[in-house]
Amino acid sequence: MQAIVQIRGLCRAYRQGDIEVVALNNISLDIPEGGFTALMGPSGSGKSTLLHIIAGIDRPTSGSCVVRGVNVAELSETELAGWRNSQIGFIFQTFNLIPVLSAFENVEMPLLLTGLSGAERRAHVEAALELVGLQDRMHHLPRQLSGGQEQRVAIARALVTDPTLIVADEPTGNLDARAAADVLELLTVLNRDAGKTIIMVTHDPKAAGFARRMLHLEKGELLRDEEMRGV
Amino acid sequence: MTAAGFIMRNALRNKRRLLLTVLSVSLSLFLFATLQTALRELTEPQTNAEAALRVITRHRISVATVLPQKYLNRIRQVPGVEAVSQFTWLGGVYQDEKNFFPQFAVDPDTIFKIITEAKVDPLQRAAFERERTACIVGIKTMNRFGWKVGDRITLTSEIWNCSPELVIRGVYSGGIDESNLFFHHDYFDELMDGFGKTGAFWIKVRDEAAIQPVINAIDSSFRNSEAETKTETERAFQLGFISMFGNIQMLIGSISTVVVFTMLLVTASTMSMAIRERMREIAVLKVLGFRGSEIFGLILAESFGLALLGGIVGCGGARLLYSNLDIYTLTQGFFLKFEVTPHILASGLLLAGGLGVLSCLAPAWAGIRMSVLDGLKEVD
Ligand SMILES: Nc1ncnc2c1ncn2[C@@H]1O[C@H](COP(=O)(O)OP(=O)(O)OP(=O)(O)O)[C@@H](O)[C@H]1O
Ligand SMILES: [Mg+2]
Repeated sequence: MQAIVQIRGLCRAYRQGDIEVVALNNISLDIPEGGFTALMGPSGSGKSTLLHIIAGIDRPTSGSCVVRGVNVAELSETELAGWRNSQIGFIFQTFNLIPVLSAFENVEMPLLLTGLSGAERRAHVEAALELVGLQDRMHHLPRQLSGGQEQRVAIARALVTDPTLIVADEPTGNLDARAAADVLELLTVLNRDAGKTIIMVTHDPKAAGFARRMLHLEKGELLRDEEMRGV
Repeated sequence: MTAAGFIMRNALRNKRRLLLTVLSVSLSLFLFATLQTALRELTEPQTNAEAALRVITRHRISVATVLPQKYLNRIRQVPGVEAVSQFTWLGGVYQDEKNFFPQFAVDPDTIFKIITEAKVDPLQRAAFERERTACIVGIKTMNRFGWKVGDRITLTSEIWNCSPELVIRGVYSGGIDESNLFFHHDYFDELMDGFGKTGAFWIKVRDEAAIQPVINAIDSSFRNSEAETKTETERAFQLGFISMFGNIQMLIGSISTVVVFTMLLVTASTMSMAIRERMREIAVLKVLGFRGSEIFGLILAESFGLALLGGIVGCGGARLLYSNLDIYTLTQGFFLKFEVTPHILASGLLLAGGLGVLSCLAPAWAGIRMSVLDGLKEVD
């Protein structure tokens, strides 16, 4: 399969006063289209940093990250915003739904930036919510939903624009085992049946077990790259 | 949902805060509209077609300096002058200090040729002209004190140190000011022991084209005489008269500025609170693909809408309130009218909208500049 993300010699350093913290050190890797990749590693190893750079919300200090032929670091802030809207679906550990908007409206938010008509938006939102099994909760506010349901709304929001990549930073970190399993199941279905490319950060080996490939980071360096057989 | 829907949802997030902010903005704008209306009523006396044809000749030095009565004949002969009357401000009170209203000693046979818009029953007018101590009173003042034709009243003037005892022989209505009292200048002279002077001359000019020639002719005919004159339109005269009360314009102007500034502080603190507690959501919107300009637009619209709503409630409320109040009675004759004009309304709304924009600039800029990663780290 073709690499949808190509990372070459990627470094990210943070400067704090006189000390330089190297979050990512010379990372090179390819992520194939249609893959489900888990990023693992101890706390502080640079997992989130890598994910943020791939998602275009952080910039490398050096090296490059090319997503579908676009070198993300070369885009301006404004271009990057439009790029994120069409190319990236981001799933957060803490869901990050807008509390004053219903499930439906939360999923609709990224579509407001597209040229779609109200009717087209409605169709997309309903399809996305149906996919995550929440068609009967469309008009609930986030606080009227369970954590697992909130995360499924967030997943619907991430996939409603039909992005190139779905990235998730510890999507099960705030969920109990049961809800976590539902979310992972859902991501697996999206990957397997809808062909979505997914990159997921996690420190839970069980969660990583759902992925088809595992990348291990430690102290900002890529340690191991394991291909897994179908479970 | 539309962008407008999202803005509404954001504004309605904290309903009590919204209510308090809109109320304080509307209170400020209510005060602003009130002050501006007061300023306008005080400094821009109403005028109409008849009033525009009137000029007043007074002493060049000040409105408080008197002129010789004998000027009357020379003024009457100036081409373009239709009627002229002596005109002296009595400045008296009726029974009590607070019972103040305008009273003038005038020439009874010419006064109604000058204030042509005032309507008087011809019989009452004849009775007024006949009797030396008679007076004619505007309908508003009649109603205010519950007077009837035939009543006897005594006015006490501290300016002239005299107390005319008058009998009401008629009522006039119509025109801009229905609160004046007119009585015989001859009677005033008598009380003043053959005064021989008048405060000013009130003149009716034939037509608009004659106004400037009449003004020039009168003033040049008294140049280099014992008392030089200054002739001006009635409107200009009133403006000059008002400025005797001190610099009202500046006083009201500075109070208005304080009010507006207070409003700016209130809306600015509301908006910065509202935006600061939403930093994380703003970061999430950025992750979803919203640009800085779009986020700025959302914040701007919310702040603008909130301030404008306050403006509409405040200015509209002032207009509604004052148009339903009897301001003349409530202010005991101080204000004849109290109209929140469309112009004041518009400037109030403009001000509200402008302050709405201004008050969100700093917090909106902070929200736009904040990096996504910093925003995501904010706790709710
Ligand atoms: N804004 C920042 N300023 C300075 N250092 C930072 C900043 N963000 C991250 N770092 C540092 O970069 C390194 C990698 O951080 P990162 O958040 O990517 O780790 P992580 O693997 O996601 O950890 P966790 O599992 O705890 O989420 C850490 O050492 C961290 O302290
Ligand atoms: Mg992390």
